[in-house]
Amino acid sequence: MKKIGIITTGVVLIAVLAGCSKVRRNPGRVYMPDMAYSRAYETYSSTENLQQKGIHYSAKPVAGTIARGDMAAYALMNDSAGYANSQSIINPLPALDAKQYLEAARLYLINCGICHGEKLDGNGPLWNDGSGPYPAAPKNFMAADMKAMAPGTMFHSVTYGKNLMGSYASQLSTEQRWMVIHYIKEKQAVTTGGKDTTAAVADTTLKAKLN
Amino acid sequence: MIPCKPTGQRLTLVFLSLFVFSILHTSAQGDIAAGKSIFNSKCASCHQVLKPGTGPALAGLEGRHKWADHNELLKWIQNPAAYMAADPYTQGLKAQYGSMMTGFADFTLKDVEDVVAHINNASVPDKGVTGQTPAAEKSNSNAIIFGVISLILAIIALILMQVNSNLKKMSDDSEGIIRPDPVPFYRNKMYIAMGALLFFAVAGFYFSKAAIGFGRQQNYQPVQPIYYSHKVHAGINQISCLYCHGSAWDSKHAAIPAVNICMNCHKAITTYEKGPKLYDESGKEINGTAEIAKLHEAAGFDPKNPNKWDGSLAKPVEWVKIHNLPDHVYFNHSQHVRAGKVQCQSCHGEITAMDEVKQVAELSMGWCINCHRETKVDFNYSAGKGNKFYSIYEKFHNDIKNKKMDSVTVKDIGGLECQKCHY
Repeated sequence: MKKIGIITTGVVLIAVLAGCSKVRRNPGRVYMPDMAYSRAYETYSSTENLQQKGIHYSAKPVAGTIARGDMAAYALMNDSAGYANSQSIINPLPALDAKQYLEAARLYLINCGICHGEKLDGNGPLWNDGSGPYPAAPKNFMAADMKAMAPGTMFHSVTYGKNLMGSYASQLSTEQRWMVIHYIKEKQAVTTGGKDTTAAVADTTLKAKLN
Repeated sequence: MIPCKPTGQRLTLVFLSLFVFSILHTSAQGDIAAGKSIFNSKCASCHQVLKPGTGPALAGLEGRHKWADHNELLKWIQNPAAYMAADPYTQGLKAQYGSMMTGFADFTLKDVEDVVAHINNASVPDKGVTGQTPAAEKSNSNAIIFGVISLILAIIALILMQVNSNLKKMSDDSEGIIRPDPVPFYRNKMYIAMGALLFFAVAGFYFSKAAIGFGRQQNYQPVQPIYYSHKVHAGINQISCLYCHGSAWDSKHAAIPAVNICMNCHKAITTYEKGPKLYDESGKEINGTAEIAKLHEAAGFDPKNPNKWDGSLAKPVEWVKIHNLPDHVYFNHSQHVRAGKVQCQSCHGEITAMDEVKQVAELSMGWCINCHRETKVDFNYSAGKGNKFYSIYEKFHNDIKNKKMDSVTVKDIGGLECQKCHY
């Protein structure tokens, strides 16, 4: 009888241990919850109970609000008239200096290059000559139609989205979007033989700085 | 000819080829490869073969409207506005899709033939998609083998001890030596003392380990509301971490993106087809397309009606936060990512290889401090690079110049001060 008890205990123990998973799905406990968990509303905490009281903690900013330090909002609306008129808008930023050029290149590579390609040839990793997961071909910035496109029209498309491309207004500020447009236009000018002299100068100074 | 097509389509194409051949004396048999390159450069921005995108899906287009006649198709492609004026079918398309097709005045009839050949070729779904075999499951079979072996050895040792004492007893009996009954091992004081010591050592080890681990969440790997694979997005498709978590560059938090950022791509990518098979941690296979459908559900997006989507009605996806620091610790992402140039992977591990993300680092104070002791600060501002802020540390710059120190670590500029993180 005693032996049977020992054997059953052993079997149960082995079964319990075998049932343990290495995957930790539970965050566990803490020593002092009042010091570990914020009493204030933090970035990802639920604001549901505030909403029930009619307090909209994460409401959208009032239309036309400009963030501190940001440029004036873009005036044209997201419709066909706005798209047509956008070509007359000129890039409000001066040509990029070497440091800004690096920053614009960084922004382009993070946000645009994934589809439009590191070389601006419309062949980023998501398209990859049609073998990537993205089903629509991204625009080739080095093609004649994109070289001819006005910077304002590009800005309009980046701000509101165009065809399958979504709006990048939430990822890039107004200034950053204009910087990226500068970057694309400068890159386009370099391959056509530098019709935009400022771009060519910026590029050579950049190279000089990098060397 | 083109393989595997419905008879009706094939007949149409045969008749059509004969028709075009007789009129134009050109081959109607389009060049699939040439068609693919024209399609990718001119059509693919708006049209997909099997699914509607900005414009309608093009599979089976010869069965619709007058498109079996490639001359009509050419007229439409060359000048959509003029063609539409007298054609209710294309007017209806514009109303349905909300925009008119861009004209391609330089299209030739040969181009149309090629593109149609490519579309017909591509509209036959691939057979036998090569699914990648799942990665061999990592088993802890070694541990099990060792466990079994030690168990067997222990049993053998016990049996041998028993045999030994029996033999001794037998030899004593035969030689007539009378010994006192041996004290059983559980009453032997030496054994009890040894056992107690061993027990306290082992129990103390596990107790202190558990006590230290209390409040830490290393290896925490919660089930997320949508099976989002970082391996597929950041690894295979090479999407930069900052594409989605851009605020890590600018702010304290590496924010989880809102649904609109997912929809930048998933407005078009509605099925999971080209990546490897996905498994959750228990080895259950995950249907990627169903997971994308969960995102569409949250975004209020209907893949069959992509142009009707109103992003303002989207609901947030309630992701589970994995990396939590206690409220009494201050941590700022931009300070580390932008100023300190720390790679995301240094703290978050090989994210690009994780399907389900887990917390790799223990995020304890010792872990933070250790990195602050070892990490060198880029003091080299003179080259036009680096951080201008560090120019205020005049003494260190002088010490480096005088070769008193060769580099400055985070510790030297206050990285171990309590108030930097606890205030």
